[in-house]
Formats: sequence, C-alpha cells, structure tokens
Amino acid sequence: MQTASLTPGGASAPEIPLIDVTSDLDEDGLYGVRRLVVTATEVTVSTPTGVPTCRIALSDIAKARHDPLVSGGRMIVTLKNGVIIPVVNYSLAVSEKFSEVARGIEQLSQGEELSIDMHEELKRCPKCDRLLPEKDGPCPVCVNRSKTLWRIFGFLKPYSRATTMLVAGSVCTTALNLIPPYIQKQLVDGFTEKTLGTNGLLQWMALWLGIALAGSGLQIFNGRLMTYLATHISKDLRASTYRAIEYLSMKYFDRKPVGAIASRVTQDTDRVWHFLVDGFPFFITNSLMALGVIGFLFSIDAVLAAAILVPIPFILLISVRYWKPISNMFFKVSQRMARLHMQLNESLSGIRVVKAFVSEDREFKRFDERNKAWQQAAMQADQKWYTAFGMMTFAASLGALINWTVGGMFVLQGRLTLGEFIMVNSLLIMVYGPMQWFAQVNNWFSRAMAGAERIFEVMDMTPESNRELERTLDIRGDVTFDAVRFGYDKSNPVLKNMSFDVKAGEMIGFVGRSGAGKSSTINLICRFYEPDGGRILVDGVPLNEINIANYRSQIGIVLQEPFLFNGTIAENIAYGKPDASLEEIMVAARAANAHDFIVSKPDGYDSIVGERGVQLSGGEKQRISIARAILHNPRILILDEATSSVDVETERQIQEAIGRLVEGRTTFAIAHRLSTLRNADRLIVLERGEIVEMGTHEELMKRRGVFCNLVETQRAVTEIIGVGN
Amino acid sequence: MQLFYAPEGRLRLTLEDRSHLDVVPAWAAPRTHPDRYLSLLDSKGKEILMLDRLEDAGADNVEVLRQELRRRYLYSQVRRVNAVRMEFGATYWSVETDRGHRDFVTQSLQENAQWIDEEFLLLIDVEGNHYQVKPVSALDPESLRRLRSVV
Repeated sequence: MQTASLTPGGASAPEIPLIDVTSDLDEDGLYGVRRLVVTATEVTVSTPTGVPTCRIALSDIAKARHDPLVSGGRMIVTLKNGVIIPVVNYSLAVSEKFSEVARGIEQLSQGEELSIDMHEELKRCPKCDRLLPEKDGPCPVCVNRSKTLWRIFGFLKPYSRATTMLVAGSVCTTALNLIPPYIQKQLVDGFTEKTLGTNGLLQWMALWLGIALAGSGLQIFNGRLMTYLATHISKDLRASTYRAIEYLSMKYFDRKPVGAIASRVTQDTDRVWHFLVDGFPFFITNSLMALGVIGFLFSIDAVLAAAILVPIPFILLISVRYWKPISNMFFKVSQRMARLHMQLNESLSGIRVVKAFVSEDREFKRFDERNKAWQQAAMQADQKWYTAFGMMTFAASLGALINWTVGGMFVLQGRLTLGEFIMVNSLLIMVYGPMQWFAQVNNWFSRAMAGAERIFEVMDMTPESNRELERTLDIRGDVTFDAVRFGYDKSNPVLKNMSFDVKAGEMIGFVGRSGAGKSSTINLICRFYEPDGGRILVDGVPLNEINIANYRSQIGIVLQEPFLFNGTIAENIAYGKPDASLEEIMVAARAANAHDFIVSKPDGYDSIVGERGVQLSGGEKQRISIARAILHNPRILILDEATSSVDVETERQIQEAIGRLVEGRTTFAIAHRLSTLRNADRLIVLERGEIVEMGTHEELMKRRGVFCNLVETQRAVTEIIGVGN
Repeated sequence: MQLFYAPEGRLRLTLEDRSHLDVVPAWAAPRTHPDRYLSLLDSKGKEILMLDRLEDAGADNVEVLRQELRRRYLYSQVRRVNAVRMEFGATYWSVETDRGHRDFVTQSLQENAQWIDEEFLLLIDVEGNHYQVKPVSALDPESLRRLRSVV
C-alpha cells in the first residue's frame, strides 16, 4: 500500500501533480476518459487531448465529496462562496478511488497534509491484458500454471512414498496388461502351426494365470493405496483451507456469502484432489500405455499399425469439438439444480407463511417451473453427450473394422500370422478404450487449476493483522478513540472523526438511531475491522501493536442474537474457557440467573442445545450467553442490546445478571430501549457516525438535546402502545 | 410545481409556496416498472411527492427531470455485443452501449445475469455496474447468438 504524503505549497513546486487519476465517464455520462490532476494550487479535469473541462483553485474550495449515484458516482466541490460544482463523473469501477481523491482535495484545500490511500489497483492482467475479475486479483487465464501445479503437488509431499508406490504400481499394471495379448499370439500360432503340445499349452496357461493373479493383486493394492492418498489429501486440503479462512478479517466475511466460502472448503478442494488422485495417474498411466502399445504395434507391422490408428485423430477431434458445449450444458444443469434447491429450501423454511397466505399453489407453480427447467437442461445435455459418445464409439469401432480388413488381408497374404493378428486386435482395445477420455483430461486439469487458484487465493490472502505480534498486554481497561474514521467500503464512511476517552471500569452506553454507527464502533473495539484513519488505544497502547488473540481473549461479548453452538448447555457456557469445571460453570450460571432454569431441564447442564437440541426461549439464550461472558471473565465487555423482547420478570433477571457482569469491567453497551442504559456511567449519543452528545443520563436530560428528544419520543410511543392495550 | 437548476448544478423544486433544494428523483421500481412511479426526494431523503408518470411533471419540467435522471442513473443499454468469452468461470464482454464502447467482466453468471422478464436481461459486472439488454430481441442476430451462447 502506497500512501501519498506531501505538504501542499511547501517544498513541492506548484505544477507537480500530487494526485493524478483517470475517470471513465465524461460530462455527458458517456464512456470516455477524463484525467483529474491536483497540484499544490489547483484541481484540473481534462480530456485525453488535454482540453480542460474544469479548473478550480484549491484556495477557493471549502468542501469536496463523492456523491453516490446509481451504478456510479460524481465528485462535487463546494466553493467557499457557496457555489457547488460537479467536477467529474465516474462509474462504480473507480468510485472508491475518487472518494479517496475527494478527501485528498479537502485535506489539501484546508492546508493539511495529504494522506490518502492512492494505491493504483490493477484492472487488467499485465500479461494478457484481459480484465481481471477482482482488482489486483489473479487472472484466471494466466495464473502461473506450473507454479500452481507445483503447489498442488506439494500436498503429495507428506505421502511421497505412497505416491511413488502408486505410480510404480500403475506402470507395472500397464506392463502386465501387455503380456496376455502376447500369450494369445503364441497360443494361436502354436495351434495353427501345430507346434504346441499339451505341456506347452499348460505352461503358457500357468504363466497367464500367474499374470492374472499378479495383476489382480496389484490392482487391489493400487486401489487401496489410491483411496489412502485420496482421503488423506482431501482431508489436508480441507483443513488448510478452513484454517486460512478462519483467520481472515471480517471484511472478507461481509463480502462473501457463507455458501460461497463453504464451497471453497468442500467443492474446490474436491476438484483438486480428484485431479491429483484420479486425473493425474490416469493421464500418466494411459499415456504410457498408449505409447507402449503404439510402439509395440509398429514393431509388429508398421503399415497395419498406421492403418488402424487412422481414426484416432477423428476421436480427438470429436471430443475437442464437443467438449466445450457439453461442459457448458452440464454447467447449466448444475445451475438449474442449484436454483431448484434454493427454491425448495426457501419455501420449506417459510412453510408457515406459505400456508398462512394459502399460496401452496403459487409455490408449487414456481417449483414446477424450475423443476421443468432442470429437466430440460439435463435432457439436452445428456442427449448431446450420447450423440458425441455414439460418434466416438463409431470411430473406435472403425479401428476394429480396419484391423479386420487390412490385418485380415495380411493374414491371407501370409504377411501376418493369425497369432499376430489376434494380438493386434487385443492391443487395439487398449488404445481405443482410454482415448475417449483423453479430451477430458484437459477439462479435469482446468477445473483443478480453477479450484486450486481459489483455494490458494484464500490461503495467500493476508490474515487478520497482528496475529504474529509478540506484544501482549494485561488489560486494565482504559479505552481511547483518537480521531477514528471507518467505513465498510471506503467511499461511504460510517464513523467520521470519532474521539472519546473511557476509564477502566466505566460503563458506556451508545445511543442513536439505527445506522448511526453504534455497531460499527463496537466492531472496531472488538477489532473485527481496522479503522481507516485515526487510532484506538487500550491502556495507552495502540491496538495495532497488541497481539490480536491476546487482546480478544480479554474481551467478552453478549450479542443481540446469542449464538449457541450444537452441544450441551455446559459446553456453551464454557465456550471461552473449555477447561472450566462444572462448579465454575454453575457459579457463572448462578450469577447470570440461569442456574434455576437450567437444572429444571431434564438433562440439566447436559441438555443439548442448538439445531437438534432443546428449544430455549430468547431470554434463556441471553442468560446462557451472559453466563458465558461471566465465566470468560473479560476486562472489556460488549453488550449488544442484551435485553429485547422478553417479559418483565425475565428482563429483571437479565438486568440483575448484567449488573453483576459489568462490575469492575469496562463495558460498552448498545440498547434501543433507553431506560436500560440508566445504569451507564456515561452515554455517547451518535448521529451519522459522529458524536453529538456525551454525558450522564441526567446531564443529557437536562441539556434537552438529541438524547432528551429520543427519550421523549420513545416514552410517547410506549404510552400509545400502553393505551392501545 | 416547477423544477429547475438554481444555482447551477443543483436541482430545485418549487411546490406551491415551498422550495426544495438538491431534489433527487428516484424510480420506485426501476426494473419492473421502468417508466413509472418517480419519487422526488428532498435533500434529507424524504419524499416530497410521487409522479405516476414522468409526463405528469408537466411539459416544462420533463426535460429537466430527464437530464437529472440520466445523470443519476448511470445504467447503460447494450446495443450490440461485439464479443463474449467464457473462461474459467469469468465471462468477458465487449459491448456497444448507449454510453459508448465498454469492456467488462462478470462472474458467476447465475447471479449476475438476471432475466427480469422475457425481454429484459440485466448484467451486473464485478464492480456492480449495471448493463441492461432490453428488449433482448432487438439485438442483431450476431449479438443475439453471442449472448445466447452464455446465458
């Protein structure tokens, strides 16, 4: 990451561009290039030929901002005299960049130091000039195949002995397969020339039996070895992929749906090991076999060999020609199947709504449409496949026809013995059999490469920073936000310039409308995200200098929707401290007012919760979650709307539990119900990512500002609801 | 009602005795009802009024509205498909649109090529830009063939 950092005016000459970027839309919204240059004195936008379309002196600028439009945006500058000027238009392709530029212009115009992230992203592959699916990402066409391939083979390394044995075994199998045709030749020639006695026959047959036994033994051995390798490698691949994903930052999880991430662990790894264990050995052994057989054929009779191999190019041609459309069609089939699954999933999980609105027929119609679409696609794909397969079979049987014609003629002429003819016939099948699948090798290879790329991409992604840091800290609990700026995407800041100081042991309540930035602040305190600007300090130490695992182990969270894992209640309470004894767990559960309801379940602390387990009410889940936090004994505690939608008595119990939990810890709480924040030492009122008020409940009520307004609105609403009841 | 730019670049709506600055026109359902239900929002995002049709704004205002909408909705209409190539899960497009020539990439077409109806195909590229093909049958046969080869 490269950060421009220059002081305006100062040392740099006025004509040196401090910022130099290009947009992809012109003034009329047509695709075209506009170059925006910011020097120490002015902002200029010009056409590719250098004709300026906009020129503003930096000293006239009061504000510059990115105005998000649909499918793009534009930069708007407000002059000191109040005039607003649209500077340049751009599509979504570059809007993030221009929102940084807008910030830069503002910094420069206010005489501040320029500090924006002007990392130039790679949009096209530098090698083949194709557009990249992800900026700065790998080009799917030009990824370094050999490098990826080596990396894939790296997974074989712990099993190098097994791999060597597998390859050796496959080569032996190939060699053994070549012997029976030779025996057949000897026998047939022996019969026709009457040179073979009973003894001779039995000797040959004994050899054949021996080869059959050895061959089968080898096949069993190879099969077992292959299974051993396949399962181990797929296990290793899944484990390393999952491990890499686990350590990625939350931003990654925001961008990708869970299904897509999960498919990297299951489907993509599948493709890779299939290739390693099926595709690769298949390719090696069959290539060897084909070469061996063809060589053998030529040694018998070059003319005959050449004649019977004539159809092979046609087979290859057919498979190459048909492969692409067929694989596209099968891709379509899997898409349609996924759509049907989606529909099924949706309508079944929403069955209550479906029934309530009597829309069974409508849902059936939708299901049926997708069902038919799947059937159509599957039928077309399979029919095409059988057509191609039939053509290949015909080409393959041509080989036999040619052999019988040409070879038969040679036998009649006495150029070939009958035994040699029979041998050629047997060998023929060995070439033509695997030939039909050769075109697929390329497909296996591409799929494995694509899968491997996606896996390696995850593995190579920078994990959350500070995992490697040595510095640990026994937290007291002072927390400081120093001009913190943050947005989930940079063009849209959620927190702007936020600063506050919290003393150890204080309880802080965050108040504001939804979208004001409460959850984002909490996310930053947990270090799920990095701030885009400013610093967060704990006990005076910048957060990005502390080992993240060490830091998080001292933070406890009670979430809005408590997440319970499949397992017993005791396991769930002990999630943050797996070695806790049942006594410790019970102490925590008592403090969380959860003990009584837990022991009244038939299995007590051993009751299974989660998907397959007992149903817990919202209030019960919350108290288990509080017990989890108490047992974890964090220095900094996060409460995200811990009391919602429960009855009065449960709420009292939860409040009591929370009261015990927050004691002596720095606590940050979000609650929509303002009365629940009465216990907070201080309240921070947020509006559009900025702090508008800060103080105790009483102070804020006296100020009659934003907070007071919120409280009164809520009271009014509660009263209305009360009257309604 | 009266719509005009004052000061320059800022859309103003004067309605009876009130004047709103920085008015934003927004289609209520741009995909299913592309030319109907236009909401006019004030600078805080609150609706001032809704027009059933663009023309309801009155002849004087329609042009201003059209101009503002064109600037705000940076969708483009695909007129011709020069080339489509599918490689390793990514689809590379080269098209002519009402805004000019454009090359873009889409990924996982299942999600990013959406059939709004029989004649309306929406393509969303990896950056989130929208490209509309509407009506699909109006494309020339070559473009249509290229399009059909992937979607």
